[in-house]
Amino acid sequence: MPEGRGVTRRRMLGIGGALGLTAASGLSASAALARRPPITGAELRSAVTLPPPFQTPLPIPAVLKPVSTSGGGDHYRITQREARAELLPGVTTPLWTYEGSFPGPTIESRRGRAVTVTHRNELPVPTVVHLHGGRTPAASDGYPTDLVLPAGWPDAPSRPGHGSGHGAPHVMHDPRAVVTRLTRDYTFPLDQRATLLWYHDHRMDFTAPAIWRGLAGLHIVRDDAEAALGLPAGPRELPLMIADRAFAADGSLAYPSLDPTLRERPGVHEPYLGGVLGDVILVNGAPWPVHEADAARYRLRILNASNARHYELEAVTDDGRRLDLVQIGADQGLLATPVTHRLLPIAPAERYDVIIDFSDVPIGSRVRLLNRLGSGRTREVMAFRVARRAADDSTIPRTLATDLPAWRRTDAVRVRDFSFRAGRLHGGHGWLIGGLPFDPARSDVTTRLGDVEVWRLIADVHHPIHLHLVGFQVLSRSGRPPLPHDAGLKDTISLRPGEAAEIITRFDGYRGRYLFHCHNAEHEDMAMMANLEII
Amino acid sequence: MVGWAFRALVSAHVAAITGQPVLAGVYLSGDFDGLRWHAVGADVVTSIGYLQLFAGIAVWVRLRRAWPFATTTAVVAAETVQYFAGLEGALWLHVPLGVMTVAALVVQFIDVWRRPLPRRKGAENA
Repeated sequence: MPEGRGVTRRRMLGIGGALGLTAASGLSASAALARRPPITGAELRSAVTLPPPFQTPLPIPAVLKPVSTSGGGDHYRITQREARAELLPGVTTPLWTYEGSFPGPTIESRRGRAVTVTHRNELPVPTVVHLHGGRTPAASDGYPTDLVLPAGWPDAPSRPGHGSGHGAPHVMHDPRAVVTRLTRDYTFPLDQRATLLWYHDHRMDFTAPAIWRGLAGLHIVRDDAEAALGLPAGPRELPLMIADRAFAADGSLAYPSLDPTLRERPGVHEPYLGGVLGDVILVNGAPWPVHEADAARYRLRILNASNARHYELEAVTDDGRRLDLVQIGADQGLLATPVTHRLLPIAPAERYDVIIDFSDVPIGSRVRLLNRLGSGRTREVMAFRVARRAADDSTIPRTLATDLPAWRRTDAVRVRDFSFRAGRLHGGHGWLIGGLPFDPARSDVTTRLGDVEVWRLIADVHHPIHLHLVGFQVLSRSGRPPLPHDAGLKDTISLRPGEAAEIITRFDGYRGRYLFHCHNAEHEDMAMMANLEII
Repeated sequence: MVGWAFRALVSAHVAAITGQPVLAGVYLSGDFDGLRWHAVGADVVTSIGYLQLFAGIAVWVRLRRAWPFATTTAVVAAETVQYFAGLEGALWLHVPLGVMTVAALVVQFIDVWRRPLPRRKGAENA
């Protein structure tokens, strides 16, 4: 039937063409609409004029002086209070601060020497202080319901069934919460490896906006072994707290809270459920700052204190050359041996201890720290202007540390799987661990002090997963060996969309109730936390 | 024989590729082993794809029909891109291309079973 065959062939060609066109347009649409590289979160736009980059000098947060020191340790006082600061030139921004500054004052401490910080809450809402990366007894770890209430805050209903709770602040019931009024002493034994820690607010349901408003500061732990290495020090050791923010027309920090007073209703407006991104990159509280540097090695102690923004950092000279970023330390201290990067990814709450060498950079020229995951203004982070030749007796030893744990898979007494993904929460959208929203009253993980465990973590979108109390090592990523920046002892691991990782750790230090959670601060506030009970 | 081999491979290919979204779902539900099985599945699917490509060449040479080879080439090309997009974590490409590959194979499956390939001319002489 030549006629019939002809019709069929023509029709077949038509069908084939239509399907081919559909496939092509589908893939093009995906290429055009999908975020490449993927980004989790939505960006707020500032309503003020943004300053040009690399004009503001890089501030270094002041080191806090102890109010008293004794043989056993040092005692500090920090007042949490509202303050106004000029983050952008000519713009006054109201902030929530530790001691009136953003970032808060840096605490310098020695390994094994206890630090007690008396925090006084003069803010309008309850607060909780958590020392991120600290090996801290549970009572001082800043569990999200261990609130420090401000002076005028109503007492939480103490008896079950008392009152309907109308008008009372939104507090999830937690029978084990230890609530104090006005002040609280946090004691940090700091019996841990030398590293860069940071302290920030960890209040139930409201962590993200509190950090956004300024409640974050650095805490450095040092020891003799690290000091003996001959790493760049003094003015050539720079803490860099990178955080994105957005500014409203009145100069305040814009944030899409459902309840801008941060008193009752937690959460953010729908488009920002994935995380809140700002269009201004602050380093130590200054927008796209510049630092005048010697033509020498510098030690950069980088913290990503952003709520949701990931960065992929590269250091580029004016003539387009990329400088090596020699990683010497991770979240939990020095690596065994240095790892050289050209591109350094850093997720919220991660820290990288990095050496950069400006000795070959022409005097008077710049080295810009850029963010490959950014677009427009968020591609730029800060710059160094190499101002002068200088002697440099610093070194980067081949062996940095020999005290890293040597956990093997066979040491693990159990393996646990956790999925980190979107889900339903109180009839709306939330973020779940293992299909469950956070509940302070539920035991999620119970382990014995000293047990070694392997955890297998799976993410749907970006989730930087943080374990309180312990450091861990990365065993694998999506079934393949860890990436170069996974080296060393970490307390936060960045999972990218669809990615899985295996980590191994030993739960030692202290018994008690701790947490693990996603450190995308918005995800954390929308229930992506779980209890870690060490018995 | 050649026609039946091609049919069998298309059928096996459809069966194998149908398992891939299942295993992806198992993985994203939090089952860590799901990813390994998804990777094993990808190896199986891609291997069947290449066998089908050889069978397509045989059909072309011995039965003088080029379309099985042409369509299989397109499917195998898509699967190869799909495979590496998955390894690289380029989900924007991996997911839609995966759906399209399944759809293409379903069409091919219907086609080979609805419209049998002719017997080889030489068979009559044998």
